[in-house]
Amino acid sequence: MIAVENVSHRFETSGRQSHLALDDITLEITDGAFVSILGPSGCGKSTLLYIIGGFVKPTGGVARVQGRAITGPGPDRGPVFQEFALFPWKTVLGNVMYGPRQQRIPRAEAEVQVRRLIDMVGLKGYENFYPKELSGGMKQRVAIARTLAYNPSVLLMDEPFGALDAHTRTRLQNDLLNIWERDRKTVLFVTHAVDEAVFLSDKVIVMTRSPGRIKTIIDIDLPRPRKRAELLLDARYQNYVVAIERLIDDTGIDEAAR
Amino acid sequence: MMWLSRLLTPLAPLLACIGLLCVWQAASLALDTGSFPTALEALRAIPDILGDRGSLINILASLRRMAIGLALAVLIAIPLGLLMGRSRNVAAFFNPLLMVIYPVPKAALMPVIMLWLGVGDVSKTLVIFLGVSLPIIYHSFQGARAVEEKMLWSGAAMGMSASRRMLRIVLPAALPEILTGCRTGLVLALITMITSEMIARQSGAGNILFNAMDMAQYDTVFAMILIVGAMGIILDAAFERLRAMLVRWSDAGRAIPLSYS
Ligand SMILES: Nc1ncnc2c1ncn2[C@@H]1O[C@H](COP(=O)(O)OP(=O)(O)OP(=O)(O)O)[C@@H](O)[C@H]1O
Ligand SMILES: [Mg+2]
Repeated sequence: MIAVENVSHRFETSGRQSHLALDDITLEITDGAFVSILGPSGCGKSTLLYIIGGFVKPTGGVARVQGRAITGPGPDRGPVFQEFALFPWKTVLGNVMYGPRQQRIPRAEAEVQVRRLIDMVGLKGYENFYPKELSGGMKQRVAIARTLAYNPSVLLMDEPFGALDAHTRTRLQNDLLNIWERDRKTVLFVTHAVDEAVFLSDKVIVMTRSPGRIKTIIDIDLPRPRKRAELLLDARYQNYVVAIERLIDDTGIDEAAR
Repeated sequence: MMWLSRLLTPLAPLLACIGLLCVWQAASLALDTGSFPTALEALRAIPDILGDRGSLINILASLRRMAIGLALAVLIAIPLGLLMGRSRNVAAFFNPLLMVIYPVPKAALMPVIMLWLGVGDVSKTLVIFLGVSLPIIYHSFQGARAVEEKMLWSGAAMGMSASRRMLRIVLPAALPEILTGCRTGLVLALITMITSEMIARQSGAGNILFNAMDMAQYDTVFAMILIVGAMGIILDAAFERLRAMLVRWSDAGRAIPLSYS
């Protein structure tokens, strides 16, 4: 379980001002849950993910995994960064191999698994391309594969499908759900797309405009496994989407739609 | 017109050299003083120098000192620069020291160093080492500082220790910048090599040059200048190919024209 207890975060900006990015966030995420975070741009979604990842130490409150306070990153929590952060000196294959190799998995064994992941994200044939030779959406898919490759039990995904076309996005949503249903990972998923959040999640967290607070947490009570075609016709699904969009309208998330 | 430019581009450096030699030839003929030989006379003196055993030994001794000074600088300056780029404390400690050394022409330290270490190889190698280290430290520092933090975070999430991240992420990520520093260092090494030999006349390419100067053998002087220049061009071009190969993956992977930094 991930527990965030009264977490606040204040940035010291270079202008010697301080900026409150997160204000008193408390939430619990049970193991194996799929939780989405929605909120206007700049409300602190990434910051919250960094705190749970152990990359940023909150200036107030505490975050825990399995009851222990988070003091740093670890291979149990795999981030997929908004900025991809691929290793430019490694090919697609080298990037995705990186995590398994760090964990001393033999090359041959890792490679079978890694090639399957690269195929899954639709980059078969691009194994020997360098990041500078890929489009934004392709980089994003490499970043997803790179994190999945070392099999973290918690996925911290920061707008992982943001740069993808509608078709690839739908495909990867299904792949992610399949992996999640198979391995029962805990997923924390930041997105700007309401329908995506409802389609994927058990819970949707809506945050307020900066300083980020939790506005509402909505349980998505839809049967699984979810089929997109069926859901789109399902009145319950439609109601969730409309209700959340209304909520967000008076939060001002539309500003963030990019 | 397209075919003409395609033909000219690879030949341009050669044409520039020939043009320069022509201007030299004309200027020397026009001035007609004993201390300014024509380009042809200087070129004709080159085989004599390269054919002479003593001169060759001198030149090779220079190159050996340069290689050792450069190698030591690379071994020490890169790790130091990278550490400074990633740790505020290391930077705060070494920065003042380097700022003091930075504006001093390293060859100006030569007399003092000679007092301590003599006129031999050690002094000259040390001066080359000092001259080359600063640009390499500086570029390694800049390269390490610019490493995208999320790349390091990704490594940390995979369970990499801080020292491993330094070696496996900061070093490769900063490599294009480091190699730019090394390229500057290479040219500086050549310059410092000659100046150090000018001050401590004992052996080396600089020694040949300045001895010839004393004996008013101006064709040899100019021939040596040509030889040193050619060494610079060849070393730089060879290093540039190595560099482009090592950083194929980066935007800096394309060959960049001779830099004057
Ligand atoms: N390193 C930093 N220094 C100072 N302020 C920062 C820093 N990083 C983020 N902030 C501030 O913290 C706030 C939250 O930033 P964060 O990146 O978490 O937002 P976000 O919700 O992820 O936005 P987006 O949807 O645009 O990605 C912003 O107002 C930003 O200005
Ligand atoms: Mg963000």
